[in-house]
Amino acid sequence: MTGEIEKSHCFKVQNKFIVKSGCKKRMWRSLKQILTAERALPWPNDAVLYYSINAPPTFKPTKKYSDISGLPAPYVDRHSKLYYSNAEEFATVRSLPMDITAGYLQLRGANTIVG
Amino acid sequence: MEDVLVLKDLKTVQDIVHEYGPTLKFGHIPLVIDNGSYQCRVGWSVHDEPSLIFKNLIARPRKDRCKKDAEPPVTPPIQIGNDIINIEAVRFQLKSQFDKNVVTHFEVQEQVCDYIFSHLGIDSDGCIPHPIVMTEAFVTPNYSRQLMSELLFEAYGIPAVSYGVDSLFSFYRNDIGDTALIVNCGYHTIHIIPVIKGKVIEEHARRINLGGSEIVCYMHKLLQLKYPVHVNAITMSRIEEILHEHSSIALDYQEEIRKWANPDYYENNVIRVQLPFVQSTSSSGLTAEQQKERKKEMARRLLEINARKREERLAEDEEQLNQLLALQELIEDGDTDEFDEAIKGFDIKNYGDLQRQIGNLNMRIEKNKQRIAAAANAEETIETRPTGRFQPPTDPEAFQVWLNDTRAKYREVLVRREARRARRAAMVKRRTAAAAERMRAISRLAAAGDDFGYRDSDWDVYKSISREADSDSEADGERLVELEEALREHEPPQPSHHRHQLHLAIEPYRAPELMFQPSMMGNLEAGLTETMEYIFKHFSDEEQLLLANNVFITGGCSQFPGLKERLERELLEMRPFQSSHKVVMAKNPSLDAWYGARDFAGSNEFENFCMSKEEYYEMGGEYLKEHHASNKYYKSPAPIVDNTLAPAGDANVVKEEIVVDC
Repeated sequence: MTGEIEKSHCFKVQNKFIVKSGCKKRMWRSLKQILTAERALPWPNDAVLYYSINAPPTFKPTKKYSDISGLPAPYVDRHSKLYYSNAEEFATVRSLPMDITAGYLQLRGANTIVG
Repeated sequence: MEDVLVLKDLKTVQDIVHEYGPTLKFGHIPLVIDNGSYQCRVGWSVHDEPSLIFKNLIARPRKDRCKKDAEPPVTPPIQIGNDIINIEAVRFQLKSQFDKNVVTHFEVQEQVCDYIFSHLGIDSDGCIPHPIVMTEAFVTPNYSRQLMSELLFEAYGIPAVSYGVDSLFSFYRNDIGDTALIVNCGYHTIHIIPVIKGKVIEEHARRINLGGSEIVCYMHKLLQLKYPVHVNAITMSRIEEILHEHSSIALDYQEEIRKWANPDYYENNVIRVQLPFVQSTSSSGLTAEQQKERKKEMARRLLEINARKREERLAEDEEQLNQLLALQELIEDGDTDEFDEAIKGFDIKNYGDLQRQIGNLNMRIEKNKQRIAAAANAEETIETRPTGRFQPPTDPEAFQVWLNDTRAKYREVLVRREARRARRAAMVKRRTAAAAERMRAISRLAAAGDDFGYRDSDWDVYKSISREADSDSEADGERLVELEEALREHEPPQPSHHRHQLHLAIEPYRAPELMFQPSMMGNLEAGLTETMEYIFKHFSDEEQLLLANNVFITGGCSQFPGLKERLERELLEMRPFQSSHKVVMAKNPSLDAWYGARDFAGSNEFENFCMSKEEYYEMGGEYLKEHHASNKYYKSPAPIVDNTLAPAGDANVVKEEIVVDC
C-alpha cells in the first residue's frame, strides 16, 4: 500500500482484506488452527471455549444398516466389508464394481484402516 | 401408481439495489445482519422483513487461460450470493467465508459485506453511518471476532457494533418464557443450549458437529452411488430441493425401515423423481422397420451406381477396341503411310505395340463382363438371404409367446454360463467340492484302461477337468450374443423417461436421521437424543423438569416434518416415568433469528449494548458488550512465556541418555 488508499466502493474507508489479483494472498487460518492457538492460552477455569462444548462421544452401540438399501443389516461381506441385509442384497453387493463399494465405505467413514 | 415428481430446478433471482432513502440515510438506523453459514439475511431495523436473503457464498471464476498473450486476460467478475444464477455451473469455484459455523476467511467476508452494502444502496462517502447488529456462532473464538471488528470498523468506518447469537435471538423472539433447552439445528452444527431464568448456561451447552450440509452431502453421495449412470444429473441443488420438500424425520426409525422391507409397502410408497432427460436421437420419428428399409434402399442405390460405372467403362473400352481394329485393318490392307499418319493420334509406336494393346483391351472387356454378371447374381442372392435366425412371428399373440420364449432361453444360457464360471472359480481353490471332483476325474483318467476313447463321450472328461474356457462355453457365448441381439431388436422399448427416474425409498428418512445417529456417516459423536440426555444429567431434578417442559427447536435444518414429534417421543423415553415435557417449534425457524435481532436493535436499551469505535480502540477487536442474547466475553489471556526452556542447564529438565549399540 503506497500512500494511496485502495477501495472498490464509495462507502468504504479502505480495502482491508481484499488484495489485488497477483499480489501475495494472505493465508487465512482454518478453524482448526484457530482452535489450537486458542487452546494453547492459559484460560481461567471457568472460560467456555469452542472446543469445550463438543458433544460427547456416543456410548450406545451403533446400529448397522445395509449400505445399499438402508435396511437393518445383520451380515457383513468379508470381501468388500459392506453390510447387507439378505441374500438378494448379497448377490448385488458381490456384483458391485470396486469404485462403488469404495464409495459406500467412504460414505460410512469406514474407508480408513484404523477403526 | 404413476405419481412422478418433477424437479423444479428453481433459479435464483438477482438482488436489486434497494433504495437508500433520506429517512434511512440520516436516521442513524441500525442495520441487522444475520450472518449464517447457509444464508445471510440483511435488513434495516425499521423494516418488517429483511431486504436481502442470499446464500453466503461467492464464486470466483478462473481466468481465461485459452486467450493468447496479445490481450491481457480478462478477469471475469466475482459472483456473490444471488448473483450466482446457476450454482451448478460454478460448483467448483464456490467459496465461503465459513469454516464450519465460524467465519475464518475474511477476504471473502469483505466481498460479501461489499455486496450487502452496495445492494442496500448505501452511497455515503467513506463510511457506513449505521450501527450494526451482527450474529455470530455460539462461543465464537476471540480471534474470529477480532478480525470481524477490524473489518467493520476499519474498512467500513461503522459507528458501533453489537454481536449476538442467532439461536438466542430466535428464542427471545418467540417469547416462550425465560427457561428453555434450545435445540438449534444449523447448516454445519447442532447446538443444544440450556437457558435457566434468562441465563445461558454455557458450560453445559453442547455442539454436535453435523448439520444441513452434511445431510445434503450424505444424500447426494448416496443417490450417486445408487444411480451411477446419472452421476452428473444428480446435483447438490436438486438434492437440496428433494430434502426441502420430500424428506422427513421418522417417528421411529427402526419401525420405519422395517416397513420398507416389505415389497408391497415399497411399491405403494416409493417416491419417483423424474430427472430431466433428452430424447435419444436414434428414435428420431423412425421405427426400426423404416430404418431397415432405408438402409436397404441405400445399399441398392450403391449397387446401381457401381453397375452403371462398369457399363460405361465397358462401352469406352469397346469403342477404343473398334478404333484399334480399324487401324489393324489399315495395315493389313498394306496402307503403311496412312497407318503412320493414323497412329500419331494414339500412343502407339509400331505394329507390335498395337497388337499388344488390342490384346489388353480384349482381356479387360472380358473381365468387366464377368463382373457385371457376378453383380447381377449377387443382387438376386441379397434378396433371398434370410435376415437372421430369430425372426419373430408377426401375429401379436404369437409374438408375445416368442418374446417370452427368447427371454427364457436367454436367461437359461446366462444361468448356465454363471454356473460354469462359479465351478471354474471353485476349481481353482483347494478344498472345494468342485476341486475334489476334478481330482477324482483326473485319477480315474489315469487309471483308465486301453478301451479309453472307443466312445466319443469319453473325451468329454477333458472338458470337465480343464480350467480354461472350453468350447461349450464358446458356443454358448455365441448363442448369448445372438439372443441378446434378437431381444434388443424386438423387445418393446422401455419409455426413456423411466430410465431417468430416481426411486427414493428409505433415503428421505435416512439422510435426516443423521442428526440422531451420526454414526451412520462414521461420526463418533453422540446424536441429538443422547446429547440431550447428557445435558439433562448436569442439572438438578427441578431444573431438568423446567428444561424438559420447554424444549425449543429453531434453525433452518429443524424444518424437517416430524422433528417435533420425534423429539417428543425421545423425551418420553428419556425422562422419568409420568414426568411432563413439551416441545415448541419456532414460528419461523430460519428467519426468527433475524426478527429477534431486529427487535433487539429497535429496543430502547440497544444503545447500551453497542460497542462504539472508541471502545473498539480501547478494548481491542475481540471485545464485545454482553447482553441477554450474546456470547460471554472472556478476555484472551496473554500467552505463556515459556522460561523453562530458555536456560540450557535447568535442573528441572530431565536428561535422558540413549546409548546406541552398534
